[in-house]
Amino acid sequence: MSEKEIKKPLLQVRDLKQHFPIEAGFIMKKQVGAVRAVDGISFDVNEGETLGIVGESGCGKSTTIRSISQLYTPTSGSVVYNGLDLIKAKREELLDARKNMQMIFQDPYASLDPRMTVRTIIAEPLEIYKKRRMLEPQMSKKDIEDRVEELMERVGLNRAFKNRYPHEFSGGQRQRIGIARALALNPKIILADEPVSALDVSIQSQILNLLHDLQEELGLTYLFIAHDLAVIEYISTRVAVMYLGKIMELSRSSDLYKNPLHPYTKALLSAAPIPDPVIERKRQRIILTGDVPSPNVERVGCYFYDRCPYKMEKCKTNIPPMKKVDEHHEVACWLYE
Amino acid sequence: MIFKKKNNTAAINEFNQEIAGNSLTKDAWRRLRKNKMAVISLVVVIIYILLAVLAPILPIYPYDEIILDHQHLPPSFTKNAGELLMEKRLADLYTQAWRQGNLELTEEEDDMLWEWIDSNEVNKVWDYMYEKGNAMVAEGSYTLSSYEQRRIDSLEEDIRTELQITLKDVWYRADSGSERVKLTSLDTDEILAAYAQLVNISAEDQKTQYMKEIEQQVLREIKERTPDLSDEEYEILLNQEFNDMSESRLNTLIRSNVLVKLNNAIRSVGLRNLKDAAEDGTMEFPLEEEISISETISATIKASKVHERQYYLGTDYQGRDMLSRIIYGGQVSIAIGFVGTITSVLIGIILGALAGYLGGKVDYIIMRIVDIMYGLPYMLLVIIAMAIFGRNILNLFFALAIISWLTVSRMVRGQIMSLKNQEFIEAARSMGAPTRRIIFKHLVPNSLSVIIVFSTLRIPSFIMTESFLSFLGLGVQAPFASWGSLVGDGVTGMTLYPWKLFFPALVMTIFLFAMNFLGDGLRDAFDPQSKNQL
Repeated sequence: MSEKEIKKPLLQVRDLKQHFPIEAGFIMKKQVGAVRAVDGISFDVNEGETLGIVGESGCGKSTTIRSISQLYTPTSGSVVYNGLDLIKAKREELLDARKNMQMIFQDPYASLDPRMTVRTIIAEPLEIYKKRRMLEPQMSKKDIEDRVEELMERVGLNRAFKNRYPHEFSGGQRQRIGIARALALNPKIILADEPVSALDVSIQSQILNLLHDLQEELGLTYLFIAHDLAVIEYISTRVAVMYLGKIMELSRSSDLYKNPLHPYTKALLSAAPIPDPVIERKRQRIILTGDVPSPNVERVGCYFYDRCPYKMEKCKTNIPPMKKVDEHHEVACWLYE
Repeated sequence: MIFKKKNNTAAINEFNQEIAGNSLTKDAWRRLRKNKMAVISLVVVIIYILLAVLAPILPIYPYDEIILDHQHLPPSFTKNAGELLMEKRLADLYTQAWRQGNLELTEEEDDMLWEWIDSNEVNKVWDYMYEKGNAMVAEGSYTLSSYEQRRIDSLEEDIRTELQITLKDVWYRADSGSERVKLTSLDTDEILAAYAQLVNISAEDQKTQYMKEIEQQVLREIKERTPDLSDEEYEILLNQEFNDMSESRLNTLIRSNVLVKLNNAIRSVGLRNLKDAAEDGTMEFPLEEEISISETISATIKASKVHERQYYLGTDYQGRDMLSRIIYGGQVSIAIGFVGTITSVLIGIILGALAGYLGGKVDYIIMRIVDIMYGLPYMLLVIIAMAIFGRNILNLFFALAIISWLTVSRMVRGQIMSLKNQEFIEAARSMGAPTRRIIFKHLVPNSLSVIIVFSTLRIPSFIMTESFLSFLGLGVQAPFASWGSLVGDGVTGMTLYPWKLFFPALVMTIFLFAMNFLGDGLRDAFDPQSKNQL
């Protein structure tokens, strides 16, 4: 978590676009438009860090993660892991790379197969890669059994619960099962899709601490999504702020919270309550007007133009590029030209 | 998982106690057990299945054994076939005597009987006349004529002596000192010699006889193969056949021909001997023992008195035991229900899962095929299929299976479409699970409860369809039986012989009821929302 050494990027995302076609027509389907869920984003994830992605609902956070893990086939761009572009990679190579890239899901109730025991759920990635003969080294049944128990202990589950079914657990315990499953293949990077947003606050902190400990013990890298600013502040090394499928600002976590640059980030941070009634009452809140515009239209100007309190003529027709303000702080806004 | 492996490593908690998982299936089973109707139905279904499976070893008469004397015997637990026949004969004689005016009744009784006859209630007339006639004979107001007495005596004689014998083994002993051997283990020449000796004909006569018969047999086969030829052409074909025939083939033909004749001869000799014994009362029946036929031949014969049979559920129009026909019919009907359901569910799961999970063009094509097949009248298709492929049980299975997967596939598709966007499927995909694994390890097990319920409710409908087809005469062909064909047979003459309709219909109804209750019970058990109601 400290920035003592300069870390090399583990995952590079370049100009990633994920457009979902809108089709019309009875039998001969014709594409009449696209939902631009992710519309050209670029960032690096460095080894050992936690990159938090924050943004309001529908801004494309989850889509980004799913595009990176190739659950969706991205429309364009590149996702480079360890020198391999996952989008163009062959199936075998992709599977091999995916071994190092596991996901944790948002809903601990929906992300575990209700028909499987905890043992089967945690062992599933091992079984899949064992069947594909891509497990190094090959594991016997006994090895898998041992590994499952080890993982359960590691995430703080009693190994006696091995033969239980997910519905017999609480939300926090289920999320631990999900984390154990993600750890099964010894991944380098974990893509966490709002892993705590479905849990209540006390459980949230337990899970966050667990993730934190695991990162230190195993040297994991996280790509962490949340819409809760406090959670992101707590866990992240760096933070990317997304709006309408675009990254608005990307910065070290400490800088971002102290010194937000982008008007959207400012508005977003000001929307979060401060747990001190005196400051809370005094502070000036930035209220954005209007709604999030439809992601279906192609945009020529700044994505935040419609709602920006500081909008200029230039913003209407020119998309602002990511601009480095200082070494660790990038922002996409014409104000900082 | 469909076939779950047992985990041999038991989970132990911190107090060193074993912890058992509580699966949804177990939960459902627990709830099913609380449902009384479903449990009773389950027991009924299991009994039915046991009866059907164990039919060959149950102590019942063969379902296809025709005894023409025993046509239409009513069901009875107390009287055997002979007594029933005697009752029938007496009732018949008394009624005839009354019709001819020999047996006089009061005017009211006459009116009553004529009324019954007019309204087709002949059974009542016979019953009444049997009672009345017996009473009158007993008090002496009617004496049987010599003709009537003769008929009664002859029936009595038959009942006492008529035997049914089955030849179990035929033994051959060359001379009194040597070991006896099975006749079938001898070679053809020895069998020929044994037969010649038994019926006392010369080898020459024997040869001309069997050659003539074999010629006839081969000619019949040729005529079946190539019909519509002139006699001369058949002559030529026959000669050709014999020229082409190999030594061994001719040998087997001769052998089987002589064996049949030999068995018949032995049977008739054995029957004669045993009949004498039955008349003298020197032997107890039923028996199974070795009887010497001639000096060299002896036979193990199983014999029983035909008219001592008991028909608990009566007999049909060819004197076949209804009880065993219903049990064997159940075999066919239940098999059709289960096999049809299993095939249709298998096809339906695979196609429905593919359509639902893959979506897009695959979905479109599969679902349009389903739509088109839905549009065609179901019965018509089955009837056409049966007409084209011929009427036998396998084709019936086939015809039902190709049409009945439609609903299953639609249902499975719907289930899977609602499941496939769940996060656990996404999780499996992110782990690199192949499509096959996702479908068969995640999607299908999760929709299994719906499928199980549907299947149980489907079995009765298969049985109904089969019954309907058999009723129409398109299903199972005699001598095989199914509940449907039994009901179909029973409908003819149902006022005179109601048991022929009643019992198969009752048995079938109970099974269908049980199956439906079981299906309902399963649906409730698998529905988590009904948890509180039970």
